[in-house]
Parts: sequence; structure tokens; C-alpha cells
Amino acid sequence: MARVGVFVCHCGENIARTVDVAKVAEFARTVPGVVLSDHYTYFCSAPGQKKVQEAIQQQSLTGVVVAACSPHLHEPTFRGASSQAGLNPFLCEMANIREQCSWVHAKGEAATNKACAIVASMVEKVKRSHPLRPIEVPLTKRALVIGGGVAGIRAALDIANAGYPVTLVERQPTIGGNMARLSETFPTLDCSQCILTPLMVEASRHPKIELLTYAEVQEVNGYVGNFKVRIKKKPRYVREELCTGCDDCVPVCPVSLPNEFDMNLSWRKAIYLPFPQAVPAVYTLDASQCVNSTLESKSGYRVLACERCSQACGPKAIDYDMEPEILEREVGAVVVASGYNLMQAEEAREYGYGKHPDVLDGFEFERLLSASGPTGGEVRRPSDGKVPKEVVFIQCVGSRDPQRGVPYCSRVCCMYTAKHALLFKHKVPDGKAYVFYMDIRAAGKGYEEFVNRVMEEERVLYLRGRVSRVVSEDGKLLVYGTDTLAGQPVRMRADLVVLATAMVPSSDGELARKLRVPTDAYGFFQEVHPKLRPVETLTAGVFLAGSAQSPKDIPDTVAHASAAGSKALELFSKPVLHREPIIAQVNEGACNGCFDCERVCPYRAMERKEIRDRQGNLIRLVARVNEAMCEGCGLCTAACRSRSIDLFGFSEEQIFAQLAAVAPAPIEAQACLA
Amino acid sequence: MDQLVEAREAPERTTEKGWEPRIVAMVCNWCTYAGADMAGTARRVYAPSVRIVRFLCTGRIDPLFIVKAFEQGADGVVVSGCHPGDCHYVQGNLLARRRFTVFQALMDFLGLDRRRLHFAWISASEGVKWSRIVDEATAAVREAGPLRHWGRPVKGNSSAQPLLPDTDAGIAPRDPPSAEENQLITGHLQELVTNLLSDGTVSTVIGYTAGSLPQQMVPLFVNEPRDASTLGWNEHCANNLVIYLPQVLKKNRDAKIGLVTKSCDARALIPLIREGQLRREQIVLLGIPCRGMWNQGKMAAKCYSCSEEVSPFTDWTITPEGTKKGSLTSAERRQVSPDPRDREIASLGSFLPEERWDYWQRQFDRCLRCYACRAVCPLCYCATCISDKNRPQWIPTTIDGKGNMAWNVVRAMHLAGRCIGCDECARVCPAGIRLDLLNRGLVQEIERRFDFCSHVNPESSPPLTTFQPDDPDEFI
Repeated sequence: MARVGVFVCHCGENIARTVDVAKVAEFARTVPGVVLSDHYTYFCSAPGQKKVQEAIQQQSLTGVVVAACSPHLHEPTFRGASSQAGLNPFLCEMANIREQCSWVHAKGEAATNKACAIVASMVEKVKRSHPLRPIEVPLTKRALVIGGGVAGIRAALDIANAGYPVTLVERQPTIGGNMARLSETFPTLDCSQCILTPLMVEASRHPKIELLTYAEVQEVNGYVGNFKVRIKKKPRYVREELCTGCDDCVPVCPVSLPNEFDMNLSWRKAIYLPFPQAVPAVYTLDASQCVNSTLESKSGYRVLACERCSQACGPKAIDYDMEPEILEREVGAVVVASGYNLMQAEEAREYGYGKHPDVLDGFEFERLLSASGPTGGEVRRPSDGKVPKEVVFIQCVGSRDPQRGVPYCSRVCCMYTAKHALLFKHKVPDGKAYVFYMDIRAAGKGYEEFVNRVMEEERVLYLRGRVSRVVSEDGKLLVYGTDTLAGQPVRMRADLVVLATAMVPSSDGELARKLRVPTDAYGFFQEVHPKLRPVETLTAGVFLAGSAQSPKDIPDTVAHASAAGSKALELFSKPVLHREPIIAQVNEGACNGCFDCERVCPYRAMERKEIRDRQGNLIRLVARVNEAMCEGCGLCTAACRSRSIDLFGFSEEQIFAQLAAVAPAPIEAQACLA
Repeated sequence: MDQLVEAREAPERTTEKGWEPRIVAMVCNWCTYAGADMAGTARRVYAPSVRIVRFLCTGRIDPLFIVKAFEQGADGVVVSGCHPGDCHYVQGNLLARRRFTVFQALMDFLGLDRRRLHFAWISASEGVKWSRIVDEATAAVREAGPLRHWGRPVKGNSSAQPLLPDTDAGIAPRDPPSAEENQLITGHLQELVTNLLSDGTVSTVIGYTAGSLPQQMVPLFVNEPRDASTLGWNEHCANNLVIYLPQVLKKNRDAKIGLVTKSCDARALIPLIREGQLRREQIVLLGIPCRGMWNQGKMAAKCYSCSEEVSPFTDWTITPEGTKKGSLTSAERRQVSPDPRDREIASLGSFLPEERWDYWQRQFDRCLRCYACRAVCPLCYCATCISDKNRPQWIPTTIDGKGNMAWNVVRAMHLAGRCIGCDECARVCPAGIRLDLLNRGLVQEIERRFDFCSHVNPESSPPLTTFQPDDPDEFI
């Protein structure tokens, strides 16, 4: 038999001014199951809470209803007080008679009646509440970081420095990501390699970091704290433990290919190191391009036509028989740092990208500026190797262009264009730089000053307006555009045109599907809340770092990565995971296995459980809630036709009882008041 | 008719003495509940008519809770949650939107006064909007008056009931097949079934055999080849035999079953496959070209618009000429007449909501709660039906207006997006309730709004378990 106590709070005058609290308390005593009701000035005060706690103990209450303010305000207070007094906190409910009654209604019978109805409905609810305990989920304290760019490295280092093992997976032969390609970084003009390489080395040497390069995540199963990951390590055909990085294999290799790291502006061999500072400093044999790859006997027997690299290799590190390796790791948290790509500039056909060799995108120009780049840091145009004297930079190529590109702002282009123009002016002092812009977005520490410096000190000419097309004429490029400030069409000659193309997600959605994390309309990973939970995803235990989530510059990326790392550490800081017990539960006996619940669950918390007979034959499949993943929204309960699912804390019985208490005119209440 | 005109011109029932509107608001915890708190913090005074029931998400709100609220005596219901895109649980409100779209359509079809049911998106910062919505809903419900007719007609036992048009008028039925044709088909069918059972292709064949009344055909399970000779076929094989499949397969998951089907029945397999109740490879479909089912000298209404002589995914086709593998080619598809029930639905649509309400309440009033509609529905496969649950009691068991209303609304909602239009429920209803109109109305609504057809693709998601970000929500 329920023994409910009702505590009606005056909230000073806040409730008592409009609602007759004494009458509400008197009414509450008439509700079946209520053994005690009281009213008091401030139940949230220490003496008020003590009153509730004493009542719980003296009257052996099985439920408490505090008729006061919104549960969003003081539910934790009273649940905590109940818990201290020995009552399960989920047997304490708030009846909101302040925000939703006394504050919004005039003094009188109507307000008091409404307060009575609210109290009655909460009493009916609490009578049907069950004591709930937080769910405990075991946890593997190991993290997986996907992507070895600056974001992935930072997150991995943060987690590893806190003492937890990390597996860092990178699909390229080296870590470093896009940042390794950059020449200098705005606004301080640090050399990108100089600040990144130490981090790369630290990551590779860290005893807690397992570095898996040339590897991809194949499959992710499990749930928060208990992910099971399958990682495919692609064969490099070079034994990592033997390779000394001496470079002897490269000169003998007969196959030359464009070097992707240099944006195809230089050449590499089929066996290569992407760039000299690559980590790990292990060569990779590009199996798809090696002359051996095309030679296969009819029986599938591989014929070795060329063994020059193997012969040249002193430590005998080259192994043509390497197979892809599948590694399995159990991790508790996943950090996604899959980064970005630049939008294919071919999309912007009118700017002549792909048609004229001297129309470049941002990364290509970065490589031309880089001291380790194909030209050794000298700016030379790709067509004839001459030093360009007039360079036109076009911003917002693809960005902020819903018709042909993406509607969002890529956030870094204004700054890197300014940096490009500045570096160009430094390297070619007699050169001229022009920037076409829509508007300058230089929000960041020292950014506005940097752009102003480029405009004023470096005498880079900024033209507000769009470029309509770029054509070639007598070995020069002709840029047609408008200067909207002068209100004039502009036509200018250029030796080189650099397009600030948009940042787009690097993954094609495949990774998001494996991780079961939603992406936004453009393919960036979706965070839970753009402001308050910017690194968490809807899949508990999967966190986002860097531009996988949205375009970011380096400072923001690093900050985001550290945030993701600290979220993973927050998870690891407890011996087991505690989760709110407001979750769904399936009555397996009644479940018909239509799995509509599985279709509607945003958290993939519905599993298929096999029911077998004693012989082990499969009888049927039923739904089962994974307690570690359920967030308690209850979408499954409404989708279930056979009513085999219910939600703890908001059960159907409770809702029915509440509806029955509030829907009819409160005749009892009126009778009581009369 | 005079009475009817008079009723139309009569003023709305004025507020009764001492009556105050009683409105139940079902809101989500994260947006609207917080919005209502916000209204309090800002001291926005609004009508004291509303009683809030807090849910974690609008996606948790089963439309049947709304039925329950009306049943318990609410005069109006407000449902409110986060704006689309703001859901705390990502997609809860978008799924809820679809469910409420269908529910609103059903309530419109049943003729519930629109002033009683309100949907709104109210965010945590929209306290002002909350107070406005409550005041608007209160004014609307006050205008509509107390809801005393949930589960009964507005006009009591008034005989002024507009009639639906005659279904037979204007459209000629097809000729039924001749006795010789049926004889030939029966012969081929018996031969094929004998072969299939003998060579072990199937372990059981479900078909028809002559019943005890003249021309009546009843279901028959054939397990032995020698029993195949009892199988029969004519234009009275009305039963949808698909209903037996889930149960048979539950007993033996690996059984392979032959099923004599008409094209309309075979459609039920698609939602059953979609919902994991059976696998296509377990069923061998024995399709018989059907020119329409006849009962008491009338062709069934569903047969007028049926374009498929044989189901397109049947495994065997049995014609008077012989037996062949696969279905008929599309060239052999036939011309169709309009469905006579569309005129009835259009006619219902032209009624005043109040008249529509009375029409349906009189229909439901006849319900005996025999659950024959449930027993013959191929999609009612739940081991325990919601109507048999008693903790809590979803459907009042008593045969009265409220209980009958709850059952019929639940039945219609549970078939929304699933019904394949075999019309078995309407055929077997001993009270002659026009469940076919109710089902067809919702099927059309779902096809129009969500471009979904239950019997087409077993891979597609049921319309109420998915959503589009730009689903229509003009009623909100």
C-alpha cells in the first residue's frame, strides 16, 4: 500500500499569494494513498528539507510529492534529500505549482483548483513509481583515435599523457594530416612543420600510444565503454621494425608517380616516404603502382619482375609477401578526427582550374611556398617555372555558394589567403598581389591585425567583388571580375591565380555509418549540441575532434581535440559507467519482433535477442534494450503496437493515472473546497 | 432533412453554467515544459484551464494517450514539443509529427471538432507563445463547449443521418468466371499441389475447400498429397489465407508453405516480410487469376479497382489453360473501374464534421467487440493484442461508446501505413461497420502525404518509423 507524503511549499509569497496552500494540503489528504500532507514557507530551505526527511522516516513514506517550483529547478534538491533519508530518489516527484500555476494565474479558486489537480496527478504518478538504481556499465579504459592529423595527435597525446592507452589509426603512410602540407601558419607565421613535427614524434614515441599508420577502421561494434573495433592494416611491403629510413630503395625504383603529398606538383617513386619528416620514418611500397603488381600468372601466382628495391635494401626490410592484417582492439571511447579535404576546384569551372596549369588551389600554393615543397620554397608557376609577378587570389570558391558549392563559410580561407599574399610578397618583393573577396572574416586572436597588416604594410590590393571567369591569353591569365566598391568591372592580367576552395569533409559517410554517428547535410559529423555539447555525438562514447565536425583553423582544431580528449578522460575517470535509469525495457514475452523500435531509436540501443529452445534451435527474435546506450526518450514505446516496451520513470501506468487525474473536472477538489 | 438543416443553423451549444474548459497539455520536458516554466518566470498570465502532463519527448506521446485524455473527460488536448530540428533526442519530434499527422487525419475523418485538438512547436524560450497557445486553445474549446459526446453522437438518437451514395450505382461489375473455368482451375490446382507436396517442395498447402453452405468456400490445410483432391476454387474464396502464415511459421520456423492466393491477399506478405514475421523463401505462392470475389450476388467493392489479375510476385500461375511458373506478363493486366468507395469517402468528406462524427459514432455504436476484424487481419499478428492488456487498461473492455471508440481508433492507428486493403475486416464484421472506409481513408492519406504504399517494397521503412525533415505539418 502506497504511503505518499505531500509537501506544499509557499515559496515565501510566490505560491501562497495566489494559491490557497492550506486548501491544497487539505485536498491532498483526500487523495487515496496520501498519509500525510503539510505546507511550509520554504521546503527547499534546510529546515524545510529536514521536515521532508523526518516525515519520510517517521511515516515510512513510499513516495514524496513536493508541490513547489519546476522540477528543472529543485528536483535534484528534493531527490537528494529523499535519498539521504533512505527513500529511493526516483520515488520523489515535484508538482509544479509555481511556474505553471501560481505565477501565471490570478488569485482565486481556479488557481487553487489547478494546483490541486497538479498535486493529484503527481500523487497518482508517484504511487506507480518504482525505485530505480543507476545502471552500472563496465568500461575498457583505452581510446581509439581515428585520424592522425593535428587533431588526432593532440587528442591521443592528451589521453595518453593522462595515463590511458590509445590506439591512433591513420590511413596514410604517415601521420601529420593536412597540417603537414602547410608552409607557415597564420597569424604568427610559425613554420607548420616546425610546430607539428615535434608532436608527431612525441606521438610515435609515446609508450601509451599504439600508432597504426596505413590502416583503416573496418568495423566498430559495441557501445560506450565497450567498443570492439576491427582495424585493417594495409600491407606496406616494408617491415616497419627493419626499415631504417636510409632511402637506398628509392633511387633504384623504376616507377615515377606524381606525389600526392605535394599535390602532384612533384614526383615520387613507387616506394616512397611522403615527405622527409614523415612519422613513422618507414618507406611504403605503393603496391598498386609497383611494376610487380600488374604481373600475375594465370594461377594467381605472383611473378616478381623487379626486385631492385629489395636488392638495394641493406637490412632486408622489403617483404613482397605481406598480407593485409586485421587487428582487433577493445576500446572504451572513440575520438573521430578524420579531418577535411579541399573541395575539388574542378567544380569551379569558370576559374579555369584543371584547364590552366597556373590556376592553383590553396594546398597547391601552400606547397609552392613551403621550403620542403617541390620548388624548395621559391614561388614558380607550374606551366613554365617562371617566377610570377602578378598573382590574383580568389576567395570563397565553393564556400558560401549554395548553387555550385556549399552554403557554409569555410572559416580559414580569408586568413590563409592573406597569409598567401603576404608570403608571396615576401618571396617576390616586386610582385603584385590582388585579392578578390566577398567580405573579410578575421575573427580570431590577432587575425584582424594580420589582415590589416597584409593590406597596409604589404600593399596587397583587396578588391571587394566576385570573379566571373579566368581565361588564358598569350601565356597569361586574364581575370574578369567586378569591384563592387568602385562599382566597376575589372579585367586584370595575372601570372598565377590561387583559388581559396571550400573545406569539405574528408570521409564519404562510410566512417559515420561504421560508427553510427549522424552527419549533417554536408557530411560533417554531427555534434549533440552546437554550443553546449560540441564534441559529443549521439553515440555515447564517440567524440569529435577538429574539422571532422566543421571547418576549423588550427587553434580551434587543437582546442576541440583537447576537449574531445578530456571527454574521453571524463569517461575513464570512473571505475564503471553510471547511467540514468530512465530507460526503456522490453517485455520479451510479448514482443513480436517487428523491430519498429529498432527503426525509430536514435541511439541504436535496440538489439535483437535470440530466443532458443533447450535444443538450441532459434525460436524467435525479440527486441532488447542495451542499457548502456538507451537515453530514455521513449520513442520505441510509442512505436510498439503490442505495448511490449515501457519506459522507467514515465511508464504507461503512470501516464494513464496522471491523465485520469487531470482530465476530469476536479469534482472531488471542488467538494473539498466547498 | 428539415431537422438536419435546423441543426446546422442552430447556434453552438453555449457554455453551461459553471463549466470551465478542461484541457490536457502533453508536452516534452526539454522545450515546451521549459517554455511553460519560462512563461511563469515572466509572469505571463494565461487561462487556468490547462493541466500539463510532462513527457521526456513528444515522440513518446502515443496518439492513444490523446484518446485516453478525451475518454477521461478532457474537453481539449494540446500537444507540444520542440521545433523540428531542436529535438533533444534528434528525431523524436519529427517521428511524432508523422504520427500526429496521421492521427489528425483520422480525427478529421471521424469528424472530431478541430477546436479540441491543438498541436504546436514551442521552444524553451517561447514562454509568450505558450501562454498564447493556451489562451487560444482555451477560447477554442470554450467555443466548442463541453465534450459530452466522446463515444456517442452529438445529436443523440436523431434520425437525420445523411446517407452515403449507393456503391452499386453506375459501375458495372466484371462477369464472374464460368463453372467450367473454375473446374479447370481446380483440376490444375489439385495436380500442382499433389506434385509440390509429393516432391517435398512444400510441407503444407493452405487453400480453399467447399464449405457446408452452397457456394461457400472455407480454408483448408493440405499436408498429404492424397488430400489435394479436396481443394477447390471459385469466386467465393474470400478469406485471406495469409493470416495463417505467421502462426504456422512460429511453430516451425523452417517450414515451407504453399499458399493459394488472390493478388489482393498476396500483398499482405510485403508488410509481414518488412516486419520480420516471415521470409519470402518460406512461401510458395500459387496465384489464381481472379476476376473478383462475389458474395450474395455482389462483387466485392475492392475488386472494382483491382488491376492485378495475379500477384506480380506469385511463384505459380494457375489458369484454366494450365499451370505455369511465374506471374502473368504485364500485357495481361486488365482495365479497371474506379473504386466505388472513393465516392463514399468523398461524400463523407463533404459532410459537416459533426455529421461525420455522428456517422462514425453510430457505426461504432454497433460494435460488439467480437474482434472478428482483428482475427482476420493479416497484419494483426501480435501475440497479445493491446486490447487484451490490462496494466494499464488501454482499451476499456465494456461495450460502450468510449470503449468502442478507443478500440476502433486503436485498430485504425495500428494499421496506418500497414493496411494492404484486403477488406477482410469489413467483410467479417457482423455489425457491418465500414472499417474498409476507415482503412482506405488512412491509406490514401499516407500515400498522399508520405508517398508510401505498404504493399510495394519490403525493404522500405514503415512511414511511421521514419521521417523527412520537410514533412508537411500545416496542422501544427
